[in-house]
Amino acid sequence: MLGAVSGALAGLLSAPAARAAKATVQKVFASSGAPNGYDPYKHKWLMCFDVDKCIGCGLCVDACKTENHVPQASHYFRTWIERYIIKKPKPGSDRTRGEVLVDSPNGGRDGFPPTVVPREEILKSFFVPKLCNLCESSPCTQVCPVGATFDTPDGAVLVDPNYCIGCGFCIQACPYGCRFLNPETKTAEKCNLCYHRITRGLKPACVEICPTEARIFGDLKNPVVDDRIQAFIQKNKVFSLKPHLGTEPRVMYANLDKEVR
Amino acid sequence: MSRFKMPPQIFRLVLLTIGIVVSYLIARQLLTPASFRDFGFYRGAALEEVASRPPVYAGKKACDECHSEVLLKLAKGDHKTLSCEACHGVSQEHAGNPDITPVKLTGSHCIRCHEANPTRPAWFHQITVKNHYTGQKCTECHVPHQPNEVP
Repeated sequence: MLGAVSGALAGLLSAPAARAAKATVQKVFASSGAPNGYDPYKHKWLMCFDVDKCIGCGLCVDACKTENHVPQASHYFRTWIERYIIKKPKPGSDRTRGEVLVDSPNGGRDGFPPTVVPREEILKSFFVPKLCNLCESSPCTQVCPVGATFDTPDGAVLVDPNYCIGCGFCIQACPYGCRFLNPETKTAEKCNLCYHRITRGLKPACVEICPTEARIFGDLKNPVVDDRIQAFIQKNKVFSLKPHLGTEPRVMYANLDKEVR
Repeated sequence: MSRFKMPPQIFRLVLLTIGIVVSYLIARQLLTPASFRDFGFYRGAALEEVASRPPVYAGKKACDECHSEVLLKLAKGDHKTLSCEACHGVSQEHAGNPDITPVKLTGSHCIRCHEANPTRPAWFHQITVKNHYTGQKCTECHVPHQPNEVP
């Protein structure tokens, strides 16, 4: 009892100093199950998209569900694809475009069925894959009441499945709709960049499977010789989703149309 | 001037306040997990726990160990950006034990990407399946590993 009291008071008084000391200590994975020797401070992961390359095959959605054991029911996705169909304006109207139709049948998992809109009426159409936007000032990590979702030092946003209480506050807070409540574990879940793969030097499942290299993944702190992220940013004009919300998303899209929500 | 004497009720209130604060601090010390605040306002051990899940897909590099000649042929054609598991399915077990065969391929694997769709970009080869040699398998004319070979 006395030990607990003194521990509590010592903790309170030395907390600022201890926190500063721990911040400088490099924590390295050392447990038996995790990839050994991985230092989260030595990496900074990022995913980017080239919208002009996405063919909407849905292999990424399927791969993510398989890799991360996401429930098979149709509204649980860590990543999904949206199809945008922008129709031509009515003849004689003064608008630049007609109606914008957005659909995502089963997240795009089985591909996209041919649309009911005839080809002559379409002004332009494209697929947009989406996932967690890895925001710099993410609303989801701010609202967690227990500290179960957080930004890691290496750029991913994770959910601690053993600590989450399933309140759903983060699911409400994310403006990109990338979180869901897992019905089996009753905890929040989202894209974690396949953290168990990237810490072992593998690529996330969706990046691995994508047939057209529409998904670009890289480590900003350790660019390889033919680094994709630097080339991507150099050659493309890049955009982010919902910039008006102030979440400062790090995920970048090349060739993103203004109609994408 | 007479000495200030704290009224007993104020003294009891001060004791109570100190008691509440101290018991909160003790409870916080006992209930906070050990690795909390290692990296930030979360359990530092969670990073290792999330990273310790076993991967499901083997990855293209794992296929290169035995099938490098196929990958060399693939690298010359338009399918060079494809991963083996995009068509052949999860091959982690096969990579560990070559006697276990990966998924058997059918024509639906090809149609999934190459079916004509107005939303697909124009640079991508697409066919309208019902107008394109119906009744035959894709592999009767096309070689998936070397798609640039003219049928």
